[in-house]
Amino acid sequence: MRKSKEVPLTLLAALALSTTGCEPPPHSCVDSTGHLAPESYCQNQATGYRYVYGGSSGGHIGDTVVGASSSPDDAGVSRGGFGHGEGGEGASGSGGE
Amino acid sequence: MRRRSINPRQNWQAAVARHGLTCHTLEDGTPYWDESAYWEFSSAEIDRLDAATAEIQRLALAAGDHILDHNRLEEMSIPASAAARIRETWNSEPPALYGRLDLAYDGRQIKLLEYNADTPTGLVEAAVIQWYWLEECFPKADQFNSLHEKLVAKWKDLIPYLKQPVYFGHDGSEEDVMTVNYLRDTAQQAGHRTEAISMHSVGWEDAKERFVDLEQRPIESFFKLYPWEWLLGERFGPHALESIGTVNWMEPIWKMMWSNKALLAILWELNPNHELLVPAYLDGPRSMKDYVRKPLFGREGAGITTFRNWAAEESGAEPVAEIRYVYQQLAPLATDGGRHAVIGSWLIDGEPSGMGIRESQGMITTNTSRFVPHLFR
Repeated sequence: MRKSKEVPLTLLAALALSTTGCEPPPHSCVDSTGHLAPESYCQNQATGYRYVYGGSSGGHIGDTVVGASSSPDDAGVSRGGFGHGEGGEGASGSGGE
Repeated sequence: MRRRSINPRQNWQAAVARHGLTCHTLEDGTPYWDESAYWEFSSAEIDRLDAATAEIQRLALAAGDHILDHNRLEEMSIPASAAARIRETWNSEPPALYGRLDLAYDGRQIKLLEYNADTPTGLVEAAVIQWYWLEECFPKADQFNSLHEKLVAKWKDLIPYLKQPVYFGHDGSEEDVMTVNYLRDTAQQAGHRTEAISMHSVGWEDAKERFVDLEQRPIESFFKLYPWEWLLGERFGPHALESIGTVNWMEPIWKMMWSNKALLAILWELNPNHELLVPAYLDGPRSMKDYVRKPLFGREGAGITTFRNWAAEESGAEPVAEIRYVYQQLAPLATDGGRHAVIGSWLIDGEPSGMGIRESQGMITTNTSRFVPHLFR
């Protein structure tokens, strides 16, 4: 009675195959010239580093990020108002419990 | 209940990754998904856990009424700015999906350790990975696990209430992305259109006073694996409060009452000596000599300290800041070879739906505690 009859996975299986579970989120930390920088630089608010949103790069530190939009001003839209985990902390920085 | 050692499948890493558990190994190289053992239960033991989960849910519902009727949110360190919205949503019952009770069970007593009601994780392991493990390794045995079909059924029920697409927000950590991906999958199977977005990327459009995605489309249905206390403490926190009613936030803001560890003290106060509870207090350990001190907003073991004979024994990672604690009597955990097991008993739409087991060397479950599958016969 408690058994699952089946666990059909569609999206999840596809995501797993592309190892999306470990994929970084769709924002990037860049330096003042738009080159990809370690996430920790932005998390620590190091001078000259900022988040950009969307866009693409080769995924390696130092790659140019193209097609991204900046925060906070994006055609009347502010971004970066969530995502800092300021109200509490898990051991891993996860929002999960 | 007993723990049995077995040989892991030779290809276990590939097997679990294929079904969504892509981060199956800890940074030190030891497995997070640990199939070198499993926990075996009797059918009667599973019945007890099922019934206990339903009973604790009943107690939590009564506690929610009590907290609001007696204005106890401030005592729980919940921001005053959230009070009206918590009250509104408690009464209007916007969509809510899931939760996980952490239970101590040593084969004799079942005791509530805490209620992870807002942002529970570990769902892929419980719903999917251990199910496939059972099918492959013990096809004649059974498992307390109807999570997947209950999730899909709940999402189907929510179709009339949720504007499309449903957004799934996360903070980018691996554990959270796995949970969000799985929940997206269940929503999609139920017929919802879905989008994933990192919390950093959520936009606020001042002119129209609304949240938008990266293509400036409005976000009106938002599952966020991101605690309400974090949301409210950030720059967009006031907008989140204003948007309630326009945006369907899941889990709803009233879940702040249940995910807060002060709930444990209130449950004990309302139900003293209840067989499923242990003594818990907000003002100190009182006469307890073996107890655990938990931050009201702690997650994944952060800030927790256990005490035996009034002396600190074991601590989890410290939170950045904490001002309030709950003091809860230590409950006996199932142990084997120095490992301590905690049962995560899941509720979907308020109904008991399955369980997952985490093992730790100490008494505190953290983000590195291993997931060990279970079965019953």
